[in-house]
Amino acid sequence: MIEPIVEALSYPPIQRALLACLLCGASCALLSVFVVLMKMPLIGVSMSHAAFAGAVLGMLLDINPFLSGLILCLLTAAVLGPLSDRSDIAPENLLGILFSFLMGIAFLGMGILTQTKAGALNLMWGSLLTLSLADLAVLAAVTAVLAAFVVLFFKEIRAVLFNRRLAASAGVPERVIYYALLFLTGAVVSANLATVGGLLIFALLVQPGATALQLTYNLKYFFWISAAAGVFACGLGLVFSYIFDIPSGAAVVLTATLLFALAFVFSPKRRLMKGNVLKNDRR
Amino acid sequence: MKREILTLNNVAVRKQKALLLSGIDLAVSENEFVGVIGPNGAGKTTLLNVVAGFEKFSGELHLFGKAETWRRSRRARLCVGYVPQMLHIDPAFPISAFEAVLTGAAGRAGLFRPPAADERREALRLLDMMRVAHLAHRPLGHLSGGERQKVSLARAILQKPDLLLLDEPTANLDIAVQKEVLNLIDEIAGREALAILFVTHDFNLLPARLRRVVMLKNGAKVFDGGIDAALAGETLTRLFDYPLETFERNGKRFVSYD
Repeated sequence: MIEPIVEALSYPPIQRALLACLLCGASCALLSVFVVLMKMPLIGVSMSHAAFAGAVLGMLLDINPFLSGLILCLLTAAVLGPLSDRSDIAPENLLGILFSFLMGIAFLGMGILTQTKAGALNLMWGSLLTLSLADLAVLAAVTAVLAAFVVLFFKEIRAVLFNRRLAASAGVPERVIYYALLFLTGAVVSANLATVGGLLIFALLVQPGATALQLTYNLKYFFWISAAAGVFACGLGLVFSYIFDIPSGAAVVLTATLLFALAFVFSPKRRLMKGNVLKNDRR
Repeated sequence: MKREILTLNNVAVRKQKALLLSGIDLAVSENEFVGVIGPNGAGKTTLLNVVAGFEKFSGELHLFGKAETWRRSRRARLCVGYVPQMLHIDPAFPISAFEAVLTGAAGRAGLFRPPAADERREALRLLDMMRVAHLAHRPLGHLSGGERQKVSLARAILQKPDLLLLDEPTANLDIAVQKEVLNLIDEIAGREALAILFVTHDFNLLPARLRRVVMLKNGAKVFDGGIDAALAGETLTRLFDYPLETFERNGKRFVSYD
């Protein structure tokens, strides 16, 4: 079983696909910590649809789809930040409205796209085997910036994740951290769109963080476990996809779900919380 | 003469045509302990949000003699500590009581600096002062409401503010814990050099060191004076539109009603 995998790995397109998939796992998994702890799962769908709509518009206007996807993602982040700070609109409603609006734009673009729709559909499922070195370099750069952001601003990130208002009152530049996070989400999603596809990104923006939430009370370990779960799900998913000859995106998503299910079943936190409830009941 | 920490001149807050606060004048000096009392919807929390820089307002607000809007510099924010009503936190959230206290120093330390050893020591000292040092490494979401409020007080004091804002810190706690938290607030007022604005709607649960009371009703200031005059039956009756009487026991004034 190992030999054919080793042989496959000697081909540069497969090497690039594996590397891209692992980078996608790491970058989306780091973001999933924020998505899960700030309870904003819809941000993943909104951003993937922004990148998708941008890429379709790029195809229509004959611009590089990555660039137009990135621009629309960053615009979405720029709108989302100030609007979600308004007290008269609940952020989850706002994300719902943005998500459906962007989906509408994407389908409108698909409708009037005269060329073949295959290019646009590739954005949903990705096209790992046709990656260029430039695609890979963009993905690596975005992942590195995100990792540096987490390491350099860990103290501020913890304060903001805990409570944005308290972070602001303690003199933490919470708005800068929050907006930076939205922009980074946009950049990560648009960089990953053409490679692994919008559907996989959405899954990876929630599952690794949700897996880590079952396992630790320490935010540092939370980031590590989430990143490891993302990378592991992507790597193992690709191997499963090769061995069983199944679509890679589906294999990665199912592996990530399996990891979550295992973490949920064996969660020490759940047992501890149950124990606490029982103890309190007895009192 | 005591230095003035906070002054408000003709401050008003309007939201979607509703006037939440109007014509508020207020001056608070250093080390002064001021209670803000009023019925529900009087504008107490709105006033605290204006002072904390969470709410847009019209009129003038000066902190340490410097005019401020709702957008504050880091330096201005560091001077004002804030303790909200009991925080709801997911029991699975990855933060310990000690780490939650340390977030109070995150702004003061500045960017690119992990918490220093003396900040960590001070955080532990404050947890000890709040009688929750034994819970330092427990997940914050596993603590009871009262324990979380004590952690919240320690977090706000670690920030080393000159003005501490307490927004109904004893709300939703049972009576014994309310009393314990009030005693801790008294201890803070006695030991730390800071002014305190304490918002409550419960006039029977006031810290002993609180000597001055500001009363709000329908967004306007209706009383500003000493605690004895504030707790006179007729003043409270006018404030709450309900017949209230006061009586004294063990040198403390209590309020009763039918």
